[in-house]
Amino acid sequence: MNYEIVCGIETHVELATKTKIFCGCTTEFGGEPNTHCCPVCTGQPGSLPILNQKVVEYAIKAGLALNCKINTKSHMDRKNYVYPDLPKAYQISQYDEPLCENGYIELDSGKRIGITRIHIEEDAGKLIHEKGYTYIDYNRSGVPLIEIVSEPDISSAEEAREYAEKLQLIMRYIGVSDCKMQEGSMRCDVNLSLRKPGDPNFGVRTETKNINSLSFIQKAVMAEAERQADILDAGGTIVQQTMRYDEKTDSVTPMRDKENSDDYRYFPDPDILGFCIDEEKVEEIRASLPELPFDKFKRYINVLGLSEATAKQLIKYKKVAEFFEGAIAEGASVKNAANLIVGTIFSNMDTEEEKELFAIRISAAQFAALVKLADEKKINIGVAQSTLQKMLESGKPVEEFIKPEDLVGISDEELESLCKEAIDANQKVVADIRNGKDKAINMLFGYVMKKTGGKADIRKVEAMLRKFIGQ
Amino acid sequence: MAVSKTEIEKLAKLAKLSFSDEELERFTAEFDAIIAFADTINQSIEGGTEQIRSIGARMVPFETLRPDEVVPSLPSDKILSNVEGYNGFFGLERSKK
Repeated sequence: MNYEIVCGIETHVELATKTKIFCGCTTEFGGEPNTHCCPVCTGQPGSLPILNQKVVEYAIKAGLALNCKINTKSHMDRKNYVYPDLPKAYQISQYDEPLCENGYIELDSGKRIGITRIHIEEDAGKLIHEKGYTYIDYNRSGVPLIEIVSEPDISSAEEAREYAEKLQLIMRYIGVSDCKMQEGSMRCDVNLSLRKPGDPNFGVRTETKNINSLSFIQKAVMAEAERQADILDAGGTIVQQTMRYDEKTDSVTPMRDKENSDDYRYFPDPDILGFCIDEEKVEEIRASLPELPFDKFKRYINVLGLSEATAKQLIKYKKVAEFFEGAIAEGASVKNAANLIVGTIFSNMDTEEEKELFAIRISAAQFAALVKLADEKKINIGVAQSTLQKMLESGKPVEEFIKPEDLVGISDEELESLCKEAIDANQKVVADIRNGKDKAINMLFGYVMKKTGGKADIRKVEAMLRKFIGQ
Repeated sequence: MAVSKTEIEKLAKLAKLSFSDEELERFTAEFDAIIAFADTINQSIEGGTEQIRSIGARMVPFETLRPDEVVPSLPSDKILSNVEGYNGFFGLERSKK
């Protein structure tokens, strides 16, 4: 392709608050249609919206985690458009004073993708089209969203995917959203245009809406870039349009002509007063942020000494990182804990969703008890792996599975030195053995077994003793 | 004229309404009169639109925003009491267009 991709992504993230943005209705997913509704979220005349504090707090949290500047003064605007999923015929959103601005996400290559803004807004209802009718469920209407708008800094399909992946991970780490793309709690719109390399001007862009998986983002960018390239190569022009990505055909098709922001006739919502946040409050929220994935990644490599590949796998899922760190806190070694998680536990999980959920039947402490046996070389790594598998299947602790024969007991070096010690301390017995009183060797066995608490392998002890005595 | 017929056509399209040519002419004139009237109000307020904007700029502190506590929703039959519901849904016949 003789063109350069210029791409920006708008991401809608549903916030994990208990209530909707402007009323006290629950945000719980599902439920019978129109049962999580009230006059406010169904746009009844005379109802008044009241802004949820947690929405503002979560949006600020997201902004801080994405290196944004937080605007301590902000207000809500009306975005007007007519569609049955929007009962008021306007969406309450933010236009010229978004809560957060000018942040970035750093990709693995070190390239920074700018975040233009993050604003808060309400979600729309859900429409079901069936046999000439449209059925409307307003349970989702008024569920809080943040819209995270990137700069057009993305220049490949791979970068688009990595950007969305990193964004999802950060949002999950800070706990503002579960970002389940398949359930719609994170949705991406891809803005894309092409230009000749070196051309400072942007081409006409299209917006591909509501992409609901990370791999579809990558595919949609490729499909749309190819579609535009074909048009340009044939001497045509790109129409500013809203597009839809069809995963079945891996193609992008037009939905409608795109509105300009003028068409939305934004104006400040007179029903909601503007709001302000103290700098101290912003700092308090900043202090509440957990260690972010990229910082954790660096710490796992530089402080814990893990390889990049292992560190990447562990930080990719918040619950896995928590489990790993829980086991370390219980005294498990970094290396064995990491290898057993990535090797054995992950082999039980086929999908990303399973790893994300990380619903395993043992606690970090139970896992650590097993890892410590391997750390102390009481069991070898093969036994540790098979025992862990049994623990995962049954949810039972390590004691249920480790049999005496599984215990390596004691290292060969230690055993050798104990055997030598037994010989030195029992010279008379040794002389008796050399003189043919073979049963006297039992005295030496007794000495070694007592010292090892009965954990030594008796055949090994005998072999060593006979070697040192010279028999 | 402050408002053109093309603008009225565009507004009608955004509002999903369709009008005859005659109606469009009439609305253009009416809208023009309304805008002119609104302009008179603008001029009478010292500071113009900026002043109007500052009415909405009154601020409330973060601490006074609504706490995130669930209150019961309305029963769905109440929510649907003004419409013909379909198995708990609002229902619309899709336009033929």
